[in-house]
Amino acid sequence: MSLWEALRHAGSALLAHRLRSALTMLGTVVGVLAVVSVVSITQGLNRYVSQQLLSTGSHVFSFSQFGMITDREQFFEALKRRPLRLSDAEYLADRLTTAEVVVPTVSRQEDVEWRGRRAKGVQVQGLGAGYEALGDFQSLDAGRHISAEEIRGANRAVLLGWEVADQLFAGIDPVGQRLRIGRESFWVVGVLSRRGRVFGMSRDNLVVIPVTTLQKLHGRQQSITILIQAAGPEAYQPCQEEAELLLKLRRGLKPWEEPDFGKETAETLYALYDKLTGVFFLGMIAIVGLSVVIGGIVMMNIMLVAVSERTREIGICKAIGARRRDILLQFLVEAAALSGSGALIGVLLGALVAWVVQAATPLPTRVAGWSVFGSLSLALCVGLTSGLYPAQRAARLSPVDALHHEK
Amino acid sequence: MTPLIGLEGVTKIYPLGRTQVTALRGIDLTIHAGEYLAIMGPSGSGKSTLMNILGCLDVPTEGSYQLRGNDVGALSDNDLSRLRNREIGFVFQTFNLLPRANALQNVALPLVYAGVHAREREERAGAALALVGLAERRRHRPNELSGGERQRVAIARALVVQPSLILADEPTGNLDSQTGLEIMEALERAGGEGRTIILVTHEEEIAERAHRILRLRDGRLVSDQPTRRA
Repeated sequence: MSLWEALRHAGSALLAHRLRSALTMLGTVVGVLAVVSVVSITQGLNRYVSQQLLSTGSHVFSFSQFGMITDREQFFEALKRRPLRLSDAEYLADRLTTAEVVVPTVSRQEDVEWRGRRAKGVQVQGLGAGYEALGDFQSLDAGRHISAEEIRGANRAVLLGWEVADQLFAGIDPVGQRLRIGRESFWVVGVLSRRGRVFGMSRDNLVVIPVTTLQKLHGRQQSITILIQAAGPEAYQPCQEEAELLLKLRRGLKPWEEPDFGKETAETLYALYDKLTGVFFLGMIAIVGLSVVIGGIVMMNIMLVAVSERTREIGICKAIGARRRDILLQFLVEAAALSGSGALIGVLLGALVAWVVQAATPLPTRVAGWSVFGSLSLALCVGLTSGLYPAQRAARLSPVDALHHEK
Repeated sequence: MTPLIGLEGVTKIYPLGRTQVTALRGIDLTIHAGEYLAIMGPSGSGKSTLMNILGCLDVPTEGSYQLRGNDVGALSDNDLSRLRNREIGFVFQTFNLLPRANALQNVALPLVYAGVHAREREERAGAALALVGLAERRRHRPNELSGGERQRVAIARALVVQPSLILADEPTGNLDSQTGLEIMEALERAGGEGRTIILVTHEEEIAERAHRILRLRDGRLVSDQPTRRA
């Protein structure tokens, strides 16, 4: 009997007991569906996070007093550190060879007002000279950048974020207008281009003023963050190393000592995310994989029942000349067909789930090829293993006994 | 001419719980190709066991069984299957057709295990069905056929591999007398081409249609006589 015919026979045997076959397949369907969905959604989530993080400027890293804090202990430790100052930024700016620009920054939140209109909770970001080289701040919709002299002179110049401009001026050209940030008066010199959202939060609800102005108005106690843009992707790693070393020396540390400041890069953010979620996702996949195995155990039991019910039939086939091998093959093919169909249905349903998630959420979910291949293989292996014992039982029946069996 | 079948001192003993049952004791039998035999005997006489051994469904505990020159006792499980497939056609009292397959598929089954390709299988099965007059019922399933028709399908199945031996175990047992006669005629037509027919029956009238009657009692061959028909 060719494989194709064996499959057809298996198909007719499975269709003869539709409900039973369906219930047997259920375990495999659910298991495969779960594996495919979970893997696809997980990868979609990872992709989303990665994309969002990358969108915030790829060759920029920063030093700050705190850096990446993951627990309370770290936080209290970081509180004890010496803050970073403008002079530290200048020190780095003078000595770094692999950086394109070094920009000190401090922020606070204020309301911004113009002619009775108010934008609440705007991030006021004070930036140092050369900030326009940073990817995030390069592009303007109107006006011009704050100049280096204006920064040196701690002028009251302000660059509006797209959302603030839209909210307060709605169509009117803001350039040259005078508005209030908190209680202070500033002149608008330009408007930043729209950046979009990250994790659902707007990145355009900000205004840029000289960092010198911010310190003049609100004091110098607050620790600054030093933004550094490397001179190209190849310089990214070396620049980090160089800057870290210089800053350590500046703060009186030996090169081999641990830094007393924090560093943030897009990778560290992603690595943190990955660390928090990695084990969780692995655990989920293992659990859903287990359900495929359980489906296999169910299948074995059902097949044993089927063999018992078809004893007479097996006897007839043997009398007619079926060898042990023929009977074994027949039942193995049935087991494979059962688990294979279940797996295929599971894959289709999993793809459907992935499509729904992709359409209804911002997660770029796609069906991962390896999850399909992996779960199909697993289901098939489990199916064949579960079917082996019942198939052997069937094959070993003596034709005489089988023929005289009840039914 | 060498006989088709030679049984020498064939004995069959079954374990039954803690004891044993001797179903056949020292059977000696010679059958030539083309003969038409009936085996008779009361319940427990061993006629089913003899049929099982003749049909290579079972092997003797002692003695030898030669079929067409093959020593059946020396054959492996696989070889026995092949022998049954090529040389023997079975007809059972309870028809024993596969319920989920139609008539054509049932008749073609021995050819499937012989490794014959689909198209040739369909042709030969169709021809066998035509021989028993059921060509138009080829797509029907057993539950759509009458008892007599089912048995005719079984006969077609037995014939499809062109066996040298047809074994029929109470072929008319589940049929009314009229249908039973039709079935016997169909069987005898099948045997007409030099095939050997061995029949187990408890009805004298059916047995008298054969050329030779073997009678068993308590596992022994007590009589082996030609009939008036011979």
